[in-house]
Amino acid sequence: MKVDAEKCTGCWECVDYCPVAAIKQADVGGVVYIDQDECVECGCCLQVRVCEYEALWQPELEWPRVLRSQFSNPRTPHPSTSIYGRGTDETKTNDVTGRYPRGCVGIAAELGRPGIGTRLSEVEKVAKAILPLGVEFEKDNPTYNLFEDVTTGKLRPDVLRERVLSAILEFKTSREGALQVLRVLDGISREVDTVVTVNIGSVWEPDGTLPAEKVAEEAGFKLRPNGKINLGLGRPKAENTGESSDSY
Amino acid sequence: MTHTNHRKGTIESLRRDYVVFIYPARGINDEGAGLKAEEFLCLGYSHGPVNAGPARTGDVFLFDPQRVLDRINRVGSAYAVFDDKDKVSAFIKDVVKADFGVSIIVSGLIDEVGNICREAGIKRHTAQCSLGVWGKTDSLPPEEVLDITTMCGHGMISSNLVRRMTREVSRGQISFEEAAAKLARPCSCGIFNPRRTQDLLRVAIEKGVGDLG
Repeated sequence: MKVDAEKCTGCWECVDYCPVAAIKQADVGGVVYIDQDECVECGCCLQVRVCEYEALWQPELEWPRVLRSQFSNPRTPHPSTSIYGRGTDETKTNDVTGRYPRGCVGIAAELGRPGIGTRLSEVEKVAKAILPLGVEFEKDNPTYNLFEDVTTGKLRPDVLRERVLSAILEFKTSREGALQVLRVLDGISREVDTVVTVNIGSVWEPDGTLPAEKVAEEAGFKLRPNGKINLGLGRPKAENTGESSDSY
Repeated sequence: MTHTNHRKGTIESLRRDYVVFIYPARGINDEGAGLKAEEFLCLGYSHGPVNAGPARTGDVFLFDPQRVLDRINRVGSAYAVFDDKDKVSAFIKDVVKADFGVSIIVSGLIDEVGNICREAGIKRHTAQCSLGVWGKTDSLPPEEVLDITTMCGHGMISSNLVRRMTREVSRGQISFEEAAAKLARPCSCGIFNPRRTQDLLRVAIEKGVGDLG
């Protein structure tokens, strides 16, 4: 994002709309400018049409800066996946896709969320830490396409400096493996220069238990009381998730 | 793998926050999904949502209901936000009857969603649950701010805007309703809950969130 200094009146109306506080003012009462290193190209300031003088404008972005927009602006589709946003259909369509089969646990670590942002170098640190644990990264997640070597977790060197509102490492693992993954994730989260929002998902078991909850408890974590629930009304049913026997 | 999954707040506050959505699986059951999403949204409107949207357009129910419906056919997914569990329950019963054959998801208190399912005669299939925020949490704004900003799953609502709205309401410069509508605008999916936001702004004012210096 850029500011046309000729049009900006210095009213400061746009400043508070920036999720990462990248709209700044050099002098009191002066025109604003965008801190290009901090800006994640989410387009929020432009989308809300806050500037009545149309001083904000979006230049065409080149590689690798265009990644900022692809990972931060929910109205920019990822060319690699054609999906808007930063994740996949995940739980939303699991009754149909069987992305997380019974006996398997899905985990997502979203770096930069909520509202802090992250360099992609931090994503690489987490990927390298959890890959040796045998996790299977979700190929439809746009982060997957940043790997230079998916067997080591190494990202393309030219993307590491890019800053995005958030990026998600999405993967599945066995129920047994999930325990260790959560512990390692906890450790590496303390070493990265951002926040990491974590979630865990699974199909309800025939006995009415939720493996995701059991794994979290065993690893010493407590689930938030709210979550996202697929009601199992989609068709055709995925064969690998079995009949739901949720006992409430 | 997130979006509506990490809405923060107390259990009491979350009792006024449910997002129901219809979501087709690409290449599996997305044929004709636009019309189903439109029917889903019309059903939702009849139960009094506080917001709704077809995702990504910015033309959320809060601002322009007709444009939401005009866009639905091209998107195929839709969201309806409610501040009352009984409304969600009645809506889900209608959704079950409509038998769209497309995935239906509810984000909200897990136990309450279980009750809603029981009342509708269905069972929960898959759950995705938040384990909260880890890492450099000392860089986060106060909880009263996060309770509002996390209602946009893409993180488009800035903490500074929450502080400013809190300040302007407390000074009597704008109403709670106007402040909630301004905060909803950056959330282009239509999953923001402006009704709950008004309650949360009251809490934020009590806690001095908008105070300068």
